[in-house]
Amino acid sequence: MLSLSMPLLAHGDLSMRIAEKTIAISEDPDNSELYYERGLLYQQHMEYDNALEDYLKSQSMGNSNKALYYQIAEVHFLTKAYQEALQSINSYLELDSMDLSAKKLQAQIHFNLKSYKKSLEGYRTVILNMKDIRPEDVLEYCNIILAENNKNYKAALKAIEYGLDQLGPHTISLQLKKLDYLKDAGLTEKALEQYNYFILEYSRNEFWYFKKAKYLVEIHKPHEAFISLKMATVAVEQLDTKFKNMGPVIELKEQIKSLESSLNNQKS
Amino acid sequence: MIKKSTFLLVALSSVFSFSQTSHVDLPNVSDVAVTMPVSHPQHSTSVTVVRGPYLQSGTPTSVVVKWRTDIATESVVHYGKSLKSLSKKASSNNVTTEHEVALSGLSPNTKYYFNIGNKAGVLSESVSGEMYIITAPKAGTKQFVRAWILGDAGTANNNQRNVRDAYYDYVDAAPKNSGKTDMMLFLGDNAYGSGTDEQYQNALFDIYDDMLKKSVAWSCLGNHDGKSADSATQSGPYYDIFTFPTAAQAGGIASGTEAYYSFDYANIHFIILDSHHTSREVGGAMYNWTKADIQNTKQDWIVTLFHHPVYTKGSHDSDTEDRLIEMRQNFMPMMEANGVDLILNGHSHSYERSYFLNGHYGFANTFNPDDISKGGHTVGSNGYGDGKVDSNGAYQKANTAAEGAVYITTGSAGKISGGDLNHQAMSVSLNQLGSCVMEVEDDGRGGQNLTVKFIRDNDGIDDYFTINKSAWVLNTDRNASGQKSAGLLYDADKDLVRLDVDKNDKLKKVKFYNNIGKLVKKSRRKTINVGKLPKGLYVIEVITNQKAYTESITIE
Repeated sequence: MLSLSMPLLAHGDLSMRIAEKTIAISEDPDNSELYYERGLLYQQHMEYDNALEDYLKSQSMGNSNKALYYQIAEVHFLTKAYQEALQSINSYLELDSMDLSAKKLQAQIHFNLKSYKKSLEGYRTVILNMKDIRPEDVLEYCNIILAENNKNYKAALKAIEYGLDQLGPHTISLQLKKLDYLKDAGLTEKALEQYNYFILEYSRNEFWYFKKAKYLVEIHKPHEAFISLKMATVAVEQLDTKFKNMGPVIELKEQIKSLESSLNNQKS
Repeated sequence: MIKKSTFLLVALSSVFSFSQTSHVDLPNVSDVAVTMPVSHPQHSTSVTVVRGPYLQSGTPTSVVVKWRTDIATESVVHYGKSLKSLSKKASSNNVTTEHEVALSGLSPNTKYYFNIGNKAGVLSESVSGEMYIITAPKAGTKQFVRAWILGDAGTANNNQRNVRDAYYDYVDAAPKNSGKTDMMLFLGDNAYGSGTDEQYQNALFDIYDDMLKKSVAWSCLGNHDGKSADSATQSGPYYDIFTFPTAAQAGGIASGTEAYYSFDYANIHFIILDSHHTSREVGGAMYNWTKADIQNTKQDWIVTLFHHPVYTKGSHDSDTEDRLIEMRQNFMPMMEANGVDLILNGHSHSYERSYFLNGHYGFANTFNPDDISKGGHTVGSNGYGDGKVDSNGAYQKANTAAEGAVYITTGSAGKISGGDLNHQAMSVSLNQLGSCVMEVEDDGRGGQNLTVKFIRDNDGIDDYFTINKSAWVLNTDRNASGQKSAGLLYDADKDLVRLDVDKNDKLKKVKFYNNIGKLVKKSRRKTINVGKLPKGLYVIEVITNQKAYTESITIE
């Protein structure tokens, strides 16, 4: 007899629902839908082997629902069986070529198979057609762009701008990535402008002055770095006491001191 | 009493213009709010409000009013400071069943009564004034704030109703600010089992209808909401029902997504995270946003909410489940270091409330009740106490130390599911139905108390605690240390900076750098006119024949 008691505390409701579904299967063993439904529960419970077993069982019993192909592809993807994942998502897309979630999964599978051109092409379709993209989508797209050509910062920055246009000009994760790309591409003036953007945009800017100073040191502008460090010091001084006593600010003060001392040593 | 009137809307086939929401001032319109003449019934269709109205994304100057009608029609909101004179109007000519009207240009901390309707008339109103918006105070305002916290409420059964009614009883009988609920904070799993639109109707709108008409609702995504909602495409009932700020409209930093966002209310900064669908990795988009957001706030209190609990031994286990462990290990070190005060979670259907903690990121059995100064995980002499003013005393958060936060897993607003309920970091663990209320108020000593109470379904208050910040100088403006330093005097009235150069030194050069480090002014004089310099922070580099040094000044 199936015991309901043991796994309950692991994932609460989910474990209970798996157990209930198992009982339902035992009462109606020829119902392919029940295996599919239990597979979904197993997948949520991160029991991927069990999920896949149920999906395949459901398929072997005649379930040809396109959603099943998607789930099989997703479980293969999660378990890094990318070839199998690709096969299944392709079957799904044969039934529904316009589904953007499936296109996205296909692009992610291609990426992991290092088929970067195909991945890029697919993800571009997703980015341009998805109604509500997220910052994460734009960042993933940029990642694929640079995997396909690790010098193509121009395209990556263009994708960031597209994201900012879609999601709002101050979307922080995109602005942060823009800074990374400008620095990596050696576009120093634009990178400095980007640091200034953060300094001007945010109400607390002590961290940004310091980060800018560090970058100025990296690009051999010690005097500008020195001025930025002074700005950082003043910004810290102007904070309320409660913020001055927070760990990250205490650490920042030490970092400012250290960089200042290193700059002074360079001078002398 | 709130009245949902069904009116006859004639000629739906009329040509409507699809303009954007518009705002106009009207003469008193409340008199036309009750009835509409019935003409040509054979061509008429009745329009009924079947959901709402409910309030979203409240800021000091704006709010979004949403509702649903059974038949597509235009959207009209009449509003005003007097119930008898709803003289302002915001409307949209778009014909829809899903109505969303933004009211803007409002005054902070101000009560506005409103009704909703279409071009033909009012569809829902409260003649007794129970439909209103109280706009948020300006960020930084120190005042009484009450938030109703509901975790895993969405059962749509009598358990949920009893928990609701117990809160209504509490707030109606509250000795201070009776009847006032500034916001509702939903901790996810707002509608079982899959967060479908129908389930939301049953478990959210039908249950909290009265409160949703006068209190802005905020939420994080729960795993059950996530079954029908897709954060990857920000679609599905959860994302359709709620409207959250993505571009920092309510304060904080723009996240670009409704999955995670922040807002300010009075002197409290709220950070809402998605612990279900979104990556919880350090360095991921949500982590980077959270870090930037928390390091940018100047608010006195920081409260965060997300569904999966940092600590629980209820119907879930924070020692074994990945989302719970990741939130604890990835997010909490950064959030604690930056001063978070209160962490609100659901998921386990019980009430578990921690001691005053810092730095406990391991399993339950690694919890050390000693003070952090002795290598433990509690803060202050009474951090391992119950936090009750009338018992071990309120937890103290001093100006000289940023550590100390209380973690609450409160997921029993709709059902209880038991569990071992023995997490060592928890001061209280109860397998009881209930919801929480958070109240922030003056402590009478220049500081504030943040008190949370667990209100049982039977009206009992089975737990409470207080965090006190009386030692803090709350909400002071930035000090003026930049205006004057030892080596200079700034005379703001005359726009003059006078440098005090060592008498043995000969001044050679003075350079002014603006707030982005750009050289904006040079001089060789000791007294310099800065009248033409824009307001802001400047670093002044002073070079003499003996040395070079810097001063700073804030021109205001």
